[in-house]
This record gives sequence, C-alpha cells and structure tokens, in this order.
Amino acid sequence: MKPHDASSRPPSRGFWAEAWVRYRGRPIGMIALAFVVFLTVVAAFAPAIAGTKPVICRYKGQLYMPCLGYFNRRWEAPVFTKDKFRGTYPQNLKDKDPDSWAIWPLVFQDPYRRVRDNEWPGRPENPSRDEGRPNAINLFGTDQYGVDVFAKMVHGTTIALLVGFVSMGLAGSIGIIVGAIGGYFGGWVDMLTSRLTEVVMCIPTLVLILALVAVVEKPTIWKTMAIIGATGWTGIARLTRAEFLRLKESEFVMAARAAGAGPVRIMLRHILPNALAPVLVPITFGIAAAILIEGSLSFLGFGPPPPTASWGSILNSARSNLQLWWLVIFPGAGIFLTVLAYNLVGEALQEATDPRLREARK
Amino acid sequence: MLQEFGRRIASRLVYPGCTVVLFGLAGCGSDEPATPLPAPELTAPADERKEPLPVTPVEAPEPFDAPPLSELDKEVGWIDRPVRDGLVLLREAQAGEGVLVTVADALALKNDTADTNAKILSALGRLPEEGQADLSARIERHVGGDLGSTNPIMISTAAEFDILGLTGFGLFSFGRDLEPFATSETVVAWQTSTDRMLDKVVLRDDLVWSDGKPITAHDIAFTYQVIMDPRVPVPAVRSGTDQLRWVEAYDDRTVVFFHKEALATNVWNINFPVLPKHIYEQTWEDDPTLKDSPEHVQLEASPVCGGPYEIVERKRGQQIVLKRRASWATVGGKQVREEPYFEEIRFRIIEDPNTTLLALKAGEIDEMILQPEQWTTQTVDEDFYERNTKVTAPEWVSFHFGWNIDTVFFRDRRVRRAMSYAFNHDEMLEKLCYSLYEPCTGIFHPGAWMAAQKKLEPYKQDLDKAEALLDEAGWIDRDNDGVRDKEIDGRSVPFEFSIVVNQQPLRIAICTLLKENLDQIGVRLNVRPVESTVLQDLTIKHNFQAYFGGWGSGTDPDTSENLWKTGAMRNFCNYANPEIDRLYAEGRQEFDRAKRAEKYGRIQEILYDDQPYTWLFWRNSFYGFSKSLRGYVFSPRGPYHYSPGFGSLWKPRQE
Repeated sequence: MKPHDASSRPPSRGFWAEAWVRYRGRPIGMIALAFVVFLTVVAAFAPAIAGTKPVICRYKGQLYMPCLGYFNRRWEAPVFTKDKFRGTYPQNLKDKDPDSWAIWPLVFQDPYRRVRDNEWPGRPENPSRDEGRPNAINLFGTDQYGVDVFAKMVHGTTIALLVGFVSMGLAGSIGIIVGAIGGYFGGWVDMLTSRLTEVVMCIPTLVLILALVAVVEKPTIWKTMAIIGATGWTGIARLTRAEFLRLKESEFVMAARAAGAGPVRIMLRHILPNALAPVLVPITFGIAAAILIEGSLSFLGFGPPPPTASWGSILNSARSNLQLWWLVIFPGAGIFLTVLAYNLVGEALQEATDPRLREARK
Repeated sequence: MLQEFGRRIASRLVYPGCTVVLFGLAGCGSDEPATPLPAPELTAPADERKEPLPVTPVEAPEPFDAPPLSELDKEVGWIDRPVRDGLVLLREAQAGEGVLVTVADALALKNDTADTNAKILSALGRLPEEGQADLSARIERHVGGDLGSTNPIMISTAAEFDILGLTGFGLFSFGRDLEPFATSETVVAWQTSTDRMLDKVVLRDDLVWSDGKPITAHDIAFTYQVIMDPRVPVPAVRSGTDQLRWVEAYDDRTVVFFHKEALATNVWNINFPVLPKHIYEQTWEDDPTLKDSPEHVQLEASPVCGGPYEIVERKRGQQIVLKRRASWATVGGKQVREEPYFEEIRFRIIEDPNTTLLALKAGEIDEMILQPEQWTTQTVDEDFYERNTKVTAPEWVSFHFGWNIDTVFFRDRRVRRAMSYAFNHDEMLEKLCYSLYEPCTGIFHPGAWMAAQKKLEPYKQDLDKAEALLDEAGWIDRDNDGVRDKEIDGRSVPFEFSIVVNQQPLRIAICTLLKENLDQIGVRLNVRPVESTVLQDLTIKHNFQAYFGGWGSGTDPDTSENLWKTGAMRNFCNYANPEIDRLYAEGRQEFDRAKRAEKYGRIQEILYDDQPYTWLFWRNSFYGFSKSLRGYVFSPRGPYHYSPGFGSLWKPRQE
C-alpha cells in the first residue's frame, strides 16, 4: 500500500529528532554540550594526554600499550615489571632494547608521583614545597609534593565523569524501574514503592558514605558511586511514576492492551519511550550533583583512596597553604565549569522536550 | 598516628614556686597536621591531641597491714634522693651557657639556618634577671582540643596534660635530662630504702588546696586507693601506679610507698596526680565514676586545685582560663614559694592548624606548634615576623611503618627488610619532610643514654636488594601478571596489601611514596586513610596488615616495653621474641645506668635486625612564639613537658 502524497510531504519528525532540532537552537545548551563532549574525550584519552608511560611502544619485537596501566594496573604488560623497568620508561626502553621505539603522551608528567631529575632526558625534576608555580613544563604548576597538577586534572576528569555517569546510570535504572512498577500497577504496589521511595529519601548520602569509608576494608571510588546511585534515585522514581500514571490511561496503551500485550511489553515498548524525556532532565542535574558530592568528599579527605587523582583532592591539598593559588583555581574552575555545563545541558534539554515550556518561550 | 608509649611518663612541671604534675601519656593520639597522632601526645599538634585512652582493667589492691614507721626505720636503711627545684637547676645550667647575640638582635633575626636557630634560642631562651619579668602578664596559649575532664586522675590527652599540669599537685618531676627528682616546692625529703622496696617522702607543711584546707600525706594515700579502685574509670595514670603494693600515710607529712618489686622504674611509679581527700572522701563511694553525681558535676565545673593555678573560666570548645592562685605562693600571710611568672593563662581551643597560624599572626595567641609545611613556607615573611619568631629543637618522637607479623606477608623477616630497602627514604626526608627531620633507625633517639652503642645505619633505598630478598622469601611472580605471589596452603596469594594511615596530607604522601616504590618491584599496596579513632581501634585489635604511626618517648626506656613485649597491649604488630622480653625484665631490675644502657641498646639492635617496623624519621619540635615571650627551653619532650618546662616562660616588663 502506498501512502498518499508521500512525495509531496516530508515525513514528520519523531519526538527525539524534534527535540534535537529545538536543542540545537539553544546556543548556550550547545556550548555546554560541546564542553561535556570535550571532557569525555579528555577522560577517555587521559593517559595519552598526560602520563609517563608510552601510549604505544615496540619492545623486543612486541607492541605494547603501557599507558593502559593508568586505567587498570593489570593492563600494563608484566614484561616491564619482569625486566625491572621500575616505572620509568624513557631511559629503560633505550637501554634494554636499542631498537625499541615509543609514542609518548602529549605531556610527560605523572598524576601519581613526582617526575624525577633526568627521567625524561634533559628535563629537571618537578619542584615541590611552594615553588611549583605554573610554567612551561608544569602547565598548571605542581603541588607541595611535586606532583604535576595538569596531569592530576586530566586524570581527575575520568573520575569526575565516571562518578556522574555511573552513579546516575544506577540511580536512573533503579528510579525508572521502581517508578514504572508503582505507576503502572497502582494500588498496593504503588503504595509500597512510594513508601520505599520516601524512606530512601530520608537517608543522608554523605553520612552513609562517611560510614562506609570507616567500615569497608578497601574503599574504592566504585563503592562511593554505588552509594550515590543507590540513594539518589528517589526524584527520578517519582517523576517516572507520575508519567506512568498519566500514560497508562492513554489510548495507545489501551490499544496495546487490547492487542494482547503483556504488562512488561507495554511498560518497556509503549510507555517508557514516551515517559523518558521528563526523566532525563533530573538525571542530567543528578550528574552535576554527583560530581559535586565527589568533589566535596575528596575535599574533606574521604574521596577515592590516594593517590587517585581527583579534582576535589587537589583542592584538599590547597587547604594547608592558600598561597598556592594554582591548587585552588584550576580544580575549582574544573568543578565549576563541569557542574555548570551539566546544569545548562539539563535546562536546555528541559526546554527542548517540554512543550509547555516551549510554548511559554514563544 | 603518633602515640606516646609511656606506661606513664610521669613528669611534673615545676613553676617558679609551683609544682605541676604532668603524667605521661599513655595512649595514642593522632598527631600532626604535619605531625600529630592518636592519643594525647604531648607534642602533638592540634588535631591529634584529643582522643581519650582505653581504660586499663585493674584489681583493687589486697588490704595491706603497713608496719609502723618506727619499725620500718629500724629494719631498713634509707638512702637520700634528690629534692630539687627545676627552675633553679635550669638557672644554674644557664649560668654556664654563653649568650650568642643580644635579645634585640635575636628578635630581628629570621630563623632560616641552624645557626640563627641557635642564636635565637640562646638569647630568648634565658630566664629573667631579678625584676625583669612582668608578674602581671597574661599568656594566650594554643591547645588543639578541649578537656575531657578537669579531674587530675582522669588525665589522658595532651590538652589535659597541658592544663591539668598547671592546676594539679604532685611530689615528683624530672629535668631537661629526664632525670627524676622530688620537687622542693612540695617536698622536704625523699628517701629510698636500701633494698629499693620502699620510698619515703616528707611533705612541706605550708601546702594548701585552693579551698584553704591543708594538703597532707593522707591525700596521697587516699588518691592511690581511688586510682586503684576498679570501679573508677581511670584512663592513663593507673598504669605504673598499679606496680605499687600500697601507699601509707603515717602522719600529715610522711608518706611511704611500698613496691611490689625492686625496679629501676619505681621512681616513675610513685608519681601520680593527687586528689583532695576531704572533698572526694564523701562522694567517691556514692558515685565511683567521679563524674555523674550532682556533687561531681559541680566539682568538674570548679575543681579544687592543688597546683599554682586554678581554673576560673571554661567555655567548652572555645577557651579555658587559669588564674594564678594566691594561696600557692603565700600561706598564712608569708610568701613561702616563688610566684609563677604569669598571672593569667588563657588556653584558646583551635583545632585547625591553618586557623591557628592565622591567630598567631594576628597576635591572638602567643605560641603554637608549627607544621613542617608552615615552618618552611608560611612563616618566612614579614607577615609572620612582625609579631612572632620561631624555633626548632630535636624531640624524641619517631614515625614508622608497622608490619603485622601475623599476616602471610610479614611473617618472614626477609620480607620486612625488603620493605625497608624498597622505600625511598631520601625522597621522603628531602621532598616530603623538607629536610627538617632526621632519619630514624630504631626505638631510642641516638642522643639518649639508652640508645644502641653500635652505630645503626639508616636504611637506604636499594631495589635490587629488596627484590633479591623477596625472591629468597619465595615471593615470585609465577602467574606472570606483574604481581609477585606465593603458594600458601595450596593457594596462590598475590602480594597485595593495605596500609592504614591517619588522614593527614604528609602521612598520606609518605604512604603513597611507599606505594610507588613497591609498585616498582611487583608488590601492590593500597593506601587506606582512616580517622584516628578508627586507626586506634584497628591497631589495638591487630586488625591491619600495615600501618603508619609514631611514638613519643617516655622518660624511661622501660616505658617502651608495652610496645615490644610478647602480647603487650600496644604491640600492634604482634612481635614476639623471648630475648626482648628477657632484656626488658633485666633492664628494669638493673640499677647501674651503664649496665641498663647495654640491655636497652641490645634491644634496639635486635629490633633493627628484625625490622618489625620500618623506622622513618625523628620529628623535631617546631614552635612559633610571640616576640613578647622569653624563656623557652627545649627538652627531648618539647618545651613544656618537663620541669620547669612551661614554668620557665615569661614576658618582660614593659619599659
């Protein structure tokens, strides 16, 4: 069967395409989005931007990517430990295999330790104490113990973004599932999930995390994320529930039900895609909040275990000497801009997907 | 954490005209914003001076039928022991010391070399000449935490030692060289029996409590009973006191201490704080906590003091004000003792070291402990020198990594040595500690009489040696994953462990350096910063693999026994060596100084060989003082915690 007038009218855009068009029309939202994308790129390629391990090297006839060791210590080939590289590559590569070659990160600095004298041929050691002002070698300066702040910032991006995405991914999943079940089934199920939501709302995230740090044998950033996620889903659940309550009475759901679709199928295939837009907005804001929580935790000294580089922990090191302005400005700006960007993205998203707001703007 | 290991490091400050008891901290404190640790640590900087110590369980002494004094005198011979005035001793010592520069020159100096430090100390550390001191002066002191209690027998944190040392009454003290003596402010004569089982003290007859009642030998005998009452939660001073068999008051002025054994440490065991019997006699039985009943709440707020100062005002968490007590120096209208130099002492409670430094620069406080970072970078310009100056001196406080010997990793001595060789000691001393600290090789300070005669070389990083030792001990990377492992009970165990550490930047940085070094030789370390209370709990329960901590020294080497004796309470690392146990027991029974020193030196050598700790550094004292202060003199226990200690500080009369 042929549609009428198919050639004369363009197909109408779907909801998301429509939203994207509207989003694109908001320059601030676009700049913020570009910034978030930029951060994501920095996070993904952090070891190639700043590090002391080669991005790729050829050693004794084999290709290796030692820089992956920054993501996971196990991904750094054990041959380098066996051959007693002891963490310093430039000289060792040359000495132990004259035919070797390597592609180095853009900036030869390490986020976890001080770069020593002549570690990179001809390069002086990193200054420590209060002498580490920003300079050509240490772009953002060094902290009191001689660790490069630029390298820390770059590697800290990974933490900041991970915290946002992982914790809100978790919060989003829990929130949507709980909200969907409550909203769709109603009755006593709704009663149960709503009360559960309220109970979780009462748990203070920070206190829970502080307790975790004291109790757990090996506190990691993942456990912190899990707690932020496991306590931050309540707002999402409430919004999802409201959407489901509204949509389950609509005609298309009735049609689906009449066609014999089961509840799971109706919830996932029919209601959820239509309920997602308003839920995305609090998730975006939640990412910003999670980054802020991680920053505060690290600032207080309860962040990921040292020497993990995180923006909050750089701020923490500035606490003992405020004259070291570069320990305040750079991580402070990083946190501020990132949180701002997520909030702007969230706002633009809200305006692009909510028809009422859209109308109000006109 | 830094803990004082004194069983009780009894000491007492003697002020001009006053005696103050300062009992040793047993306990741990976390110290240092550059340097403090758990438990009251005398020298601990702010944040570490807070936590109370665990209460040691005790059994009440069996009733004892003390023989009459005449019988004692007949049976035993008495040897006279020293009765001194700490201030006089210091004045005599200073008479022989030259002054390197004038006061005006010293005040203009910037302390940036060892030479200027010596000049400042020699000119500003002098006691006043006649009439030079302003006896109506007030000093604003800094203290890192509030008092838990104002009752002297409940003393346990460094803040309590600082404050209750000034308000409390005591018989004994020790000088800058840590030699014990009875203080002439309160004692007429002190004698020890020839078999060393008895100590007899005759008190002065011109001593009164702040409520006007006389201080007598009965107060001392009574206090012994209270301290040893198992129902009374005494945190620190019971250890040591529990080595006494009995304390008997024969009349108002004569008291005899009966020992359980003839020990070299008995001179410390007879030194405990004293309560007014006439006050507590009635209330103690009804409320053995000494805290809860209305009377005790009232006493807590305005205690009856026996020392040169009394507490006149206390705002919780903010400040504690002490005033000189007229009835200390003047009794019955006659001046019987010298007056202390300050009329008022105001203790300002500030926890954060940075806030404290701001207060010092603004002239709101007169003294504080400086962190190394503050010393090096934040006290070098006019901003600081406008009102203040600073000095440093060696102090017997050391820090270490402790290896839990009951773990699969550190059972083997070779592994512990490998750890010591793996660590980059030079990097730590120069880059993390700003070259302010000396390397440490063992439990006794090289300047102490009990230190090992043999020169123990500080460990230097030697990764090849470390790797060879680990290979020898069977830790080899068999599964080729970059981490060493060993087959234990049929299971391959990777060499990955955690180190617990107090949440202070310098300490974390040191552990992070260890992590970097171990990573280089295929060992994985997780650094786990915890709160000092958690750290204390984990270490006391031996629930850790490795920890970072420190100890302040006691006045007697025997105070370190509770760190090393098999099963001792603070033997966190579960170190067990019958030879060490034997040497400590022998050292206690030996009275010849040189022979004792041999025993303790041997202990230090054995521990050096066994490396249950990787000793890191000795932390020196760093103090900032207002330019209006004079008379600070440093002992191995810092400027305050000996006799005269704080009592030697004064402010000059305004011209």
